[in-house]
Amino acid sequence: MTVQNATSTIPYSEAPKASVWKRIWQQDAPGYLFLLPWFIGFFGLTLGPMISSLYLSFNHFDLLTAPRWAGVDNYVRMFTNDPKFAASMRVTMFFVVFSVPLKLAFALGVALLLNRGMKGLTLYRSLFYLPSLLGASVAIAILWRQIFAADGLVNKFLSIFGIIGPSWISNPNYSLWTLIVLSIWQFGSPMIIFLAGLRQIPQDMYEAASLDGASKWRQFWKITLPLLTPVVFFNAIIQTIEAFKSFTPAFIISGGTGNPINSTLFYTLYLYQEAFGFFRMGYASALAWVLLALVAVFTAFSFLTSKYWVHYDD
Amino acid sequence: MSITLSRRHFLASSAAALAVGASGVLPAWAQNANLRLIFWGGQARADRTYGVVDLFTAEHPDVAIEGEFLGWADYWPKVATQTAGGNQPDIIQMDYRYIGEYARRGSLAPLDSYVGAGLDISSFDQDQLRNGTIDGKLIGVSLGVAAGATVFNSKVLGDAGVDIDPMRWTYDDLLTHGPKVWEATGGATAMAPDGSGIELLFENWLRQKGKALYADGKPAFTPEDVTEWFELWAALREAKAIISPDEQAIDTGQLETAPLVRGKSAMNFTTSNQLVAYQTLVPDPLGIAIYPATSADSKGGHYRNSSQYFALSASSAAPEKAIEFINFFVNTPAAATLLGVERGVPASSAMRDAVAASLDERGQMVVKYIADLGEIAGDVPPTPPASAGEIEVALKTKSQEVAFGAQSPADAGPAFYDQVIQTLGRTS
Repeated sequence: MTVQNATSTIPYSEAPKASVWKRIWQQDAPGYLFLLPWFIGFFGLTLGPMISSLYLSFNHFDLLTAPRWAGVDNYVRMFTNDPKFAASMRVTMFFVVFSVPLKLAFALGVALLLNRGMKGLTLYRSLFYLPSLLGASVAIAILWRQIFAADGLVNKFLSIFGIIGPSWISNPNYSLWTLIVLSIWQFGSPMIIFLAGLRQIPQDMYEAASLDGASKWRQFWKITLPLLTPVVFFNAIIQTIEAFKSFTPAFIISGGTGNPINSTLFYTLYLYQEAFGFFRMGYASALAWVLLALVAVFTAFSFLTSKYWVHYDD
Repeated sequence: MSITLSRRHFLASSAAALAVGASGVLPAWAQNANLRLIFWGGQARADRTYGVVDLFTAEHPDVAIEGEFLGWADYWPKVATQTAGGNQPDIIQMDYRYIGEYARRGSLAPLDSYVGAGLDISSFDQDQLRNGTIDGKLIGVSLGVAAGATVFNSKVLGDAGVDIDPMRWTYDDLLTHGPKVWEATGGATAMAPDGSGIELLFENWLRQKGKALYADGKPAFTPEDVTEWFELWAALREAKAIISPDEQAIDTGQLETAPLVRGKSAMNFTTSNQLVAYQTLVPDPLGIAIYPATSADSKGGHYRNSSQYFALSASSAAPEKAIEFINFFVNTPAAATLLGVERGVPASSAMRDAVAASLDERGQMVVKYIADLGEIAGDVPPTPPASAGEIEVALKTKSQEVAFGAQSPADAGPAFYDQVIQTLGRTS
């Protein structure tokens, strides 16, 4: 039996091997070849830097001299001895907690209005979407600075009613709120997704509800919202991640400082300061990984709770 | 929707972009040696600098110089990443806060071997050479002498009936005259900005008290000094001699956001060379004065600094050519005339004489200010510790906490002092 096996396995194992390689070469190689640009980008620009950032997060590195191994020093310092880390975390959390729900509510409100089949819908849809395209740009942040400055548009408007407004962007009580308003103003992309979701809800449900005498308000709570929860869930996840990553507006409006009194010191802005302002690449890398972990925890938490409030058709 | 761009269009627009980005600079591919030059500053400085580049390349057709300039805040991240990426420009404009750090890490080349052999420093002021010397090696060639200075709007002060003695005015003058400016302008303009967060001004005040910002890498002041400093400014704020905290917070360091330029204050605490740049942005005639003195006869607060240096990258492929350009920049009358005193008064006495005749009124005021400062100026402080840039930012944030009432001067003093100790003790 052993002899038989020995003689038969040789041709048996080699022949298919050759054909497998041949098949891969003939069938799959062109596919991989076409994917090559993406692979180069992924390995060279995403995965490579991520791995080196993970390595650097365990080092002290000032850009000019070679990294020095630091173990978990950076992480320990962050959680035990860094008031600015705590401050930036508070600012970012506040921003996420207020900007995301308000933005989604606003987006849903506008989507409901647009869903009533008005004339010129495509025009309005494009107009409302426009801020999303412009939102993260430097120009808009500079515009925002002008609108909310001491002698800006907002205060000019308020002065009609005899109200003398403060300088919104440079007052620590209001500066973060101007950034939240800026974020809400960019409601276009969740709005488009809500609109698509609203189109999916079968009309006959509303007809049936109307026949039973349900008010519009009741229809919204009992039909629209439950059937829309998968879209709400999707939007909430995307917008939360976006909010955690928010950087440009705070950077431009505060001139890169996060001031007044660190009131607009977003986590990403602090990370940038540590890396490129004070040349602590190791510490900044550690900050980046903590942010990644934080976003992952948030997302996982959302998925875990989703089964209690997200209704899928099946 | 798709955007189509013809090849001709693309070429035309990229050529235009190139021309804007490197105005006055010859195309880099036609020459034997390519030099890269980077500096911080505004358009006024860029125009003058590129003018000198043109003069130089006209005489040296074998050299092409590619220039790049950024604002102060964006400049240091850029230089640091270029250095880390092995992509450092040949000629780098340096500041006294950073030159020591770069030099000690070996990314700037010592220039001693070029002295007398391509680099002529025979007519340079001794203190300017000393400023550019790190650990006994000449690293930076001073591009100008500058000192802390108050730039003021003569018209606004004159209209309010306020007259200050430019070389002797004091914090008490600010307290007594400040309210007059406020009243005369109906609350639109204050006499001064809130200087409590300006590191140079704080240092000047400390030096007048016989102290300093740093000594041997440690703070050379006490928590009580910081408290006293913040109390001084709280009194000025109370008297409406200075602008409100939210107006001050709009100032992000760019000239355009300065209260003086926005018409919110009648002065700005800056450096002497900036008079030229401010005058291009303010329609009223500007004057120049010292930082306020603690008493009319107080001395030693100011010092004649090098406003900036040119340094040579240690990795430059054509160091001789780069030195040739630096030498041309600081030793040619034609270049000096073009540069004026925008980077400060020339460090070479020969160039000072060459420039004197062609200077406009503001330029001459800057030269006179530096000369008049002779009697009250003290020694140049040693190169600051590595984290000086971070502490500069921290003082600004702390001053806002006090100004907005989030912390009392009594608490802010020890808090800031602890922050300085922590920052200095921290590894990068």
